Amino acid sequence: MELVFDHAVFLRKDWQLEADGRFLPGIHLVSGKIGAGKTTLSLMAAGLLSPDKGSVKRNDIHSVMLSMQFPEYHVTGSTISAEVRSWGLDPDIVLASAGLEGYGKKDPFRLSRGELKRLHLHCILSRDWDLLILDEPFSALDCREKKDVCQRIDQKTGGIVIICTHEQRFFPHVDVIWEIQCGTLVRTGELPHALTRWSHAPARIRKLVEKGIIPENISESDIMEASCWMHE
Amino acid sequence: MLDARMRLLATVMLSVAAFLSIFAAVLVFLWWLVCTPGIRVLQKSRYGLLIIAFSGIISVLIWFSGGDGLSYFIRMSVILLIAFWVFHDRAPGEFMDLSVWLFGNKSGFDIGLAAEMSIQSMEFIADEITRLRFAFRLKPVKPGIGTIIPAGGMLIHTQMKRAEDQADLLSMRGYIHGGTICPSFHRANGDIPAAVLSILILIVAFIPVRDIFILLQ
Repeated sequence: MELVFDHAVFLRKDWQLEADGRFLPGIHLVSGKIGAGKTTLSLMAAGLLSPDKGSVKRNDIHSVMLSMQFPEYHVTGSTISAEVRSWGLDPDIVLASAGLEGYGKKDPFRLSRGELKRLHLHCILSRDWDLLILDEPFSALDCREKKDVCQRIDQKTGGIVIICTHEQRFFPHVDVIWEIQCGTLVRTGELPHALTRWSHAPARIRKLVEKGIIPENISESDIMEASCWMHE
Repeated sequence: MLDARMRLLATVMLSVAAFLSIFAAVLVFLWWLVCTPGIRVLQKSRYGLLIIAFSGIISVLIWFSGGDGLSYFIRMSVILLIAFWVFHDRAPGEFMDLSVWLFGNKSGFDIGLAAEMSIQSMEFIADEITRLRFAFRLKPVKPGIGTIIPAGGMLIHTQMKRAEDQADLLSMRGYIHGGTICPSFHRANGDIPAAVLSILILIVAFIPVRDIFILLQ
């Protein structure tokens, strides 16, 4: 199972994105500035945008899901229960896990964006996908919910998970870090070695690296543990 | 055509001319081929051909009800081509400049602001529809009557939310009525000849075709 960007180039009038690399099963983090092209990369990975040059190959991948930044786009049900059912899931189970019991008959657009995002992520993460692309999964969520999403992502095994984000604090355990630099997708490397080369690293990770402390990974617990080493 | 004032003038002249007669509509079509990017306009307006096809359906209905469907189709298609060109050539902030130039800093500013916000919303809705189609493909949900309600709900919801945010922003910035703006326009070499030509086409549209050939003899 692999996702291959074979010299894929997406062109716009004054902007372009180049991607060349292989995504194998595991959790991949794609970081980059706002407007760097993370969403475009997500859409290409999901097969919703075709590159102008090169190709994107999804080898042995049978199920693909992209979670868009704004959960409203995914709503196809007139009620929250219908929305959950449209994902092929049991509304009672999903609503209970998302903390939205008793909301089943409500209009999904009556929910706040945070609640809708939580519901949407619970629906997506309740199923297994060969290729799961999460575009800014932490936007509109509070710290507790971000931690919860990280835990749920950590439980994903077997498939390829790509997280495109500029989140600076909460991350799941990541296998590979990628960056978009000047319109080009760059494989920064596997963790923990990639941390010394990660140009978009959050300030507190950069601070640790500058002190010569390389955390095992970038999850909250890994960073906390590494911070304790710093004070020893 | 860079100058928005010339474009407005040409649009009014050509639309009236095309509406008046088939002969004028043919002249307008030739003007569209010569003075605009022509077919490239249609390539960029994804729904252009669809809208022309819709006017074709109306023409067939007119024809069945005893009217001159063909004449309607030719004239409407040419008017639509002019409309696509105007939409294609517009630049952000241009309606504001044009409106303030025409009606001044009070009413002109308000009209221009409303026009700019409407155009922005149209582009926003086009992006939203693209994303909705992506979401439907992902689930996968077959587009149909069952999906029109949530899709329409989403579009209305986001537009109302956006309108509310924009209203808050304008009110926070102290907007009550009117504003100050110095309109500026750029002009390309071909703008004036194209505008003059559009006026000539309107004049010709008022002359019966038979008279034109007598004049030519």
